[in-house]
Amino acid sequence: MRSLNLHLKVLITLLVALGVLITAYQIFILGIPVTEDETDDLWNIDAKVEFQATPREPVKLQMFVPPLNQDYVSLNESFISNNYGVSVNRVDGNRRVTWSARRANGKQTLYYRLVLTKRYSGEQAPAKGPIFRDSIPVEGPEKIAAEALLAPIRQHSADVETFISETIKRANNVNDDNVKLLLGGDASTANKAKVVDLLLSIAHVPMERVHTIRLQAEVAQSPELWLRSFNGQKWLYFNPESGEQGLPEDRLVWWIGDSDLVSLEGGRQAQVSFSLNNSEMNAIRLAKLTDENTDASFLEYSLYGLPLQTQQTFMIMVMIPIGVLVILILRNLGGLQTLGTFTPVLIALAFRETQLGFGIFLFTVITALGLSLRSYLEHLKLQMLPRLSVVLTFVVVLIATISLFSHKLGLERGLSVALFPMVILTMTIERLSITWEERGGSHAFKVAIGTLFAATIAHLLMSVPELVYFVFTFPAILLILVGFMLAMGRYRGYRLTELFRFKAFLKD
Amino acid sequence: MFGLIKTWKALEAKGIMGINRRNADYVLKYNKRHLYPIVDDKIITKERAIEAGIDVPEMYGIIETEKGIDKLDEIIAGRTDFVIKPAQGAGGDGILVIADRFEDRFKTVSGKIVSHEELEQQISSILSGLYSLGGHRDRALIEYRVTPDTIFKSISYEGVPDIRIIVLMGYPVMAMLRLPTRQSNGKANLHQGAIGVGVDLATGVTLRGTWLNNKISKHPDTTNAVDGVQLPNWDGFMKLAAGCYELCGLGYIGVDMVLDQDKGPLILELNARPGLNIQIANDCGLTHRAHAVEARLEELKAKGIQESAEERVRFSQELFGHIVSKEV
Repeated sequence: MRSLNLHLKVLITLLVALGVLITAYQIFILGIPVTEDETDDLWNIDAKVEFQATPREPVKLQMFVPPLNQDYVSLNESFISNNYGVSVNRVDGNRRVTWSARRANGKQTLYYRLVLTKRYSGEQAPAKGPIFRDSIPVEGPEKIAAEALLAPIRQHSADVETFISETIKRANNVNDDNVKLLLGGDASTANKAKVVDLLLSIAHVPMERVHTIRLQAEVAQSPELWLRSFNGQKWLYFNPESGEQGLPEDRLVWWIGDSDLVSLEGGRQAQVSFSLNNSEMNAIRLAKLTDENTDASFLEYSLYGLPLQTQQTFMIMVMIPIGVLVILILRNLGGLQTLGTFTPVLIALAFRETQLGFGIFLFTVITALGLSLRSYLEHLKLQMLPRLSVVLTFVVVLIATISLFSHKLGLERGLSVALFPMVILTMTIERLSITWEERGGSHAFKVAIGTLFAATIAHLLMSVPELVYFVFTFPAILLILVGFMLAMGRYRGYRLTELFRFKAFLKD
Repeated sequence: MFGLIKTWKALEAKGIMGINRRNADYVLKYNKRHLYPIVDDKIITKERAIEAGIDVPEMYGIIETEKGIDKLDEIIAGRTDFVIKPAQGAGGDGILVIADRFEDRFKTVSGKIVSHEELEQQISSILSGLYSLGGHRDRALIEYRVTPDTIFKSISYEGVPDIRIIVLMGYPVMAMLRLPTRQSNGKANLHQGAIGVGVDLATGVTLRGTWLNNKISKHPDTTNAVDGVQLPNWDGFMKLAAGCYELCGLGYIGVDMVLDQDKGPLILELNARPGLNIQIANDCGLTHRAHAVEARLEELKAKGIQESAEERVRFSQELFGHIVSKEV
């Protein structure tokens, strides 16, 4: 007996541990959302390119598009153009689309659309970048001005990071004569970035320009310039205007480097306008979509891999253990008396079809009528099989009558009865009448109420959408349930009703 | 909530056995499933008992098929009283007790006259499984009618009082006398309203009783005190019960016996899942007693001794008997 107990304990521990581990893995490592309500932002980015084509000349337009190795996962990418050939190639960590046409006339419009979301990105490749570079050659007054600016910067900084932000701050001080000289009267962001670049190059600090798009809906925008530098471990991003460090969460890197966004041959007045909008999407569906676009195929072997029809069946099926658990607790811990173990679960499943209130009403009415028929048949002393058949037929007739009446009365609800599993009802009537004969009417009544109560609780629990989603998404939970059920199998404590049943012992 | 926890603790301290404990520690542990048919089918029980030399009501005949009903006359020829029972019936259903013959007809205990056809109809119903638990085909058993000893007259209402002894691995652990009441319709099942009266294992003197989960000391119909009655031939009952372990091989059973006026203690049936109300009747928990028996078994096993039924009865009587009844 003792070895059996140890065996059981080991088994329970194993099952629970396995269930917890698998579920934790799904939640924390795979990042599967815990509730169905969890939604994610889905961004729809349109870049519209317009230009005037020069007649009788081949057109070739090149535009940078976001590299896809970022925190964001692209779900869909499309290049919309008429009569243009499209090719995408990678250049120095950037991606560039090339639209080309032999001949084009007048105003041309091309679209690039990207749908992305910030979830489920795979492992990030370790960042790599230069940490040294040569100085940009500079002569005369510029050299002196740069030297003059660099001296206090060196003094006020401790490392690359502080050095760069200090440099940006200085370069933005347009009242400084040295800065004025270097800017040469042009105080645009691009020019400031150039000055910062110059200053940093003299100190041999590498720097790159990063052009970003802000993920903000319904705002007209053009790419925003940021600077970045590699400090040996990671990229540090700086705002060239304020010296602020760190790329905000909502920025999407479009391209890197000094080149312009668009380069055009055989046309003029190329213009790019961005429009963004976002929508929310159910996280698990999004996960499924990203799954197709990334190599993380974690949903492949989950229940979501099944056809939709089968999925719906399984959503009901995975809840049956939950219902059984309810019955187990109510019976073995509570001491509630029900008709058999699984009849309440079956009735709970039947309630799915009829809705709870109407289901209880139907159950009561049909069972009551069925029982009276059964007790009438009792007088005829029929054998079991013919008797059961009569009861079943009667139940069918009864259900048909109820359906007809409720239909005539305009209650569509009554029609759901057709799907109400009448075999369950017949068996319930049969078993209830046996109980009635063996243990008396009051006991049968108690059992019927207990069954209805258990079925109601089981139904309510089985139809909690959050729970259905959770169990369906993390079926390993069922292992934990089995562990609990096994533990219940050796439970020797009292049932709640026994505390009342044996009250007589305490009346001394 | 705290009240419940207190109740729990108090029951635990008294060693009251709950259904979960009974099932997990005793029924599942000691009762092998494949042996159940022996106790579920009264005919098999009876055959086994006869083989083992244990007293049972004499079997007059078995009817197994519709055709076999023709043999009825042969079986009851020359007998004025007998009982017809379904072999696998439960709760006393389908039992027909014939007390006398009246011209060409029969008279039941309650005085109702039944014709020969009705008798055959009853047997036919039994065969079709009308009274058996799962509705399976059944066999009809025709046996000796027990006449309860007159000792029970004052504390019983109709029916046949019976004696239930819980036997763990051959050791009687608790006993109770079950008295039919008006409410139980002469049946001796506690949940149908019969009274359970505890019995001192050593002496066979009744203690106070239980009725519908309450403690009582008087019979509700006759208002006579149920305690302090000396059951005759008590050691016979104890030996009979203890011997049932060898008979059926089930380690935890309730043995139902009757005291016949002429034949003394007889075994009626065995129950593989005896109820727990016997604890209320005896005002004593089963758990401590069962543990004592299990400890004894361990001890004997270590020594390699197998006790006989008499020795087991003596052990139980010494350990569990001689209860000094508390004054109210």
